[in-house]
Amino acid sequence: MEKMIEKFYKSLGKGKIYGTKCKGCGEFAFPPKAGCKKCGAHKMKWQQISGEGTLHLYSSGNLPPMKFAKYHPYAYGCVELKEGPCFFTQIEGVDVSSVEEIEKENEKLPRKAKAKVKKMAGMNIVVFKVVKSQAKKKSKKKSKK
Amino acid sequence: MAHVGNLKEKPVITGVGCTKFGSVLETPEIKGLAFQELACEAAFEAMDEAGVDPKDIDAFYIGSMVSHISHLYSHHTQMADWLGLHLKPGLHFATACSTTNTGVGMAAMDIASGKFRNVLVLGCEILSSTATDDPTKRKALDPSQLWYWTDFGVDQAYGYHHSYDIATAYGGLPTLGYAKKYGVPMDKMDEAMFAVHKNVRLHGSKNKKAFVTTTLQQEAKKAGFKDAWSFWTGRKNPFLAWPTRAKSALNTVDGASAMVISSKKEAKKYFKKEPIEVAGFHWSSSNYPWYGSDPTQWDIDETTFKTAMKMAKIKAKDVGYLDVHDCMQIYQLIQPETCGYFKKGEAWKAFLEGRTTYKGDKPMNTSGGRHAKGHAFAASAGAEIYEAVKQMRGEAKGRQIKDEPEVSMVHNHGYGMHSAVTVLKR
Repeated sequence: MEKMIEKFYKSLGKGKIYGTKCKGCGEFAFPPKAGCKKCGAHKMKWQQISGEGTLHLYSSGNLPPMKFAKYHPYAYGCVELKEGPCFFTQIEGVDVSSVEEIEKENEKLPRKAKAKVKKMAGMNIVVFKVVKSQAKKKSKKKSKK
Repeated sequence: MAHVGNLKEKPVITGVGCTKFGSVLETPEIKGLAFQELACEAAFEAMDEAGVDPKDIDAFYIGSMVSHISHLYSHHTQMADWLGLHLKPGLHFATACSTTNTGVGMAAMDIASGKFRNVLVLGCEILSSTATDDPTKRKALDPSQLWYWTDFGVDQAYGYHHSYDIATAYGGLPTLGYAKKYGVPMDKMDEAMFAVHKNVRLHGSKNKKAFVTTTLQQEAKKAGFKDAWSFWTGRKNPFLAWPTRAKSALNTVDGASAMVISSKKEAKKYFKKEPIEVAGFHWSSSNYPWYGSDPTQWDIDETTFKTAMKMAKIKAKDVGYLDVHDCMQIYQLIQPETCGYFKKGEAWKAFLEGRTTYKGDKPMNTSGGRHAKGHAFAASAGAEIYEAVKQMRGEAKGRQIKDEPEVSMVHNHGYGMHSAVTVLKR
């Protein structure tokens, strides 16, 4: 049996984010798994994710696990990967300073988000950062002119 | 649809037992009890009610979840003589917070196979404190340590290490997702969750075995607030993970529950009360995450409800009493809609209209749920089966549903995540 968990985390250290794709039905799994959630097959191939996703919802809890307590408060949300699966992780680029801000930001969702590797609690993990909309960038440029 | 399967004989619940839920460090009724003693209290009540001697019990299953706290494994060996079940077949089992719901189905299959005639299912958990090297002393448990051990149940390969946040994943996002999906304004959603919590507390106030026995109104008055709503939205009830407030979450407690599952044929010979038939059950398992972009859509529960209901040959309209897992009270809205007890998007209105109290036409969670009754991990589901049996027999003093339910359905989540549903008929 391949050491899949170790390979996933070691690859993050090299900036590569892998999932697995079922050789039978084509279902994508992220993070990598030995079996297919859809058809149950055990033949999977490694494939890097595009890193593109959509943030659907996020909030911030007051019961973080001990290893993440020092990062509290942080945004935690549901990102749907371009490849299909939903992944829950820390979200960057959104406000968690107050419940009013969290509510306001959630009204703007869904928004595009991009995966990145971040060192947290002594290990590399995958987080997502929301992508600033093009409309906003353009309006900023205009206002500068 | 999962394989449904049918039992050759429908087993029955003959006896149920449940201790007071609370803290063995403080609650007078259970103060100072050790794991063995707490477990025996529930087991003896169930055996007495069933009218069976330990010699009539053919097998026993003991559910308990957190070995780090109990300092026990092989509970079945250590408890055999305590229970009067020396040399009987026994085993320890766990599906976390759904454990004793799962145990009913395990015992039912044993009975239907013909191997055993009476099976004791027992659940016990002490969460207030850890065992020590002195069996007469316990040490108060830091809640952050409890959650560290509890989270061993959540995807330890990946999910947990990606900033896992239980309050957001299990409470905040499903509440937010429910409001978004059904167009409920956030202030109205807060009112709906307030209504759910008032029910929880009303039911707890009428259950002597509950951990919290005051109503929300009483607590608000005692804390100096002008009314329950001011308390709900005030500093004493902060957001655990917006939009979920602290009072919408469980209280961890100590307690034990037990059931005797019997062959209907055998029970007829000696059992004087109305036996409650185990008509259907099913379980499903899923790794984290438990839902996708729609946090109200839980495939794991949908398949479990459907399969258990098909096995029991019932429709949602036949259910007279529904108990759903409510470690976070948002599931009192999501789960009844998943099984069809309410139409999609309608449960929040039913709570605001008072339809789900023990006096309402759609009663739910009349024991007080996992906040008021309290949550003793492996013992809680058994306490909820206990409540359903009491309601069906007309023995739920002070909170009795007017027309004793013909059909009850009990749903549980086992962290993280197992779904268990048992359908009972009388």
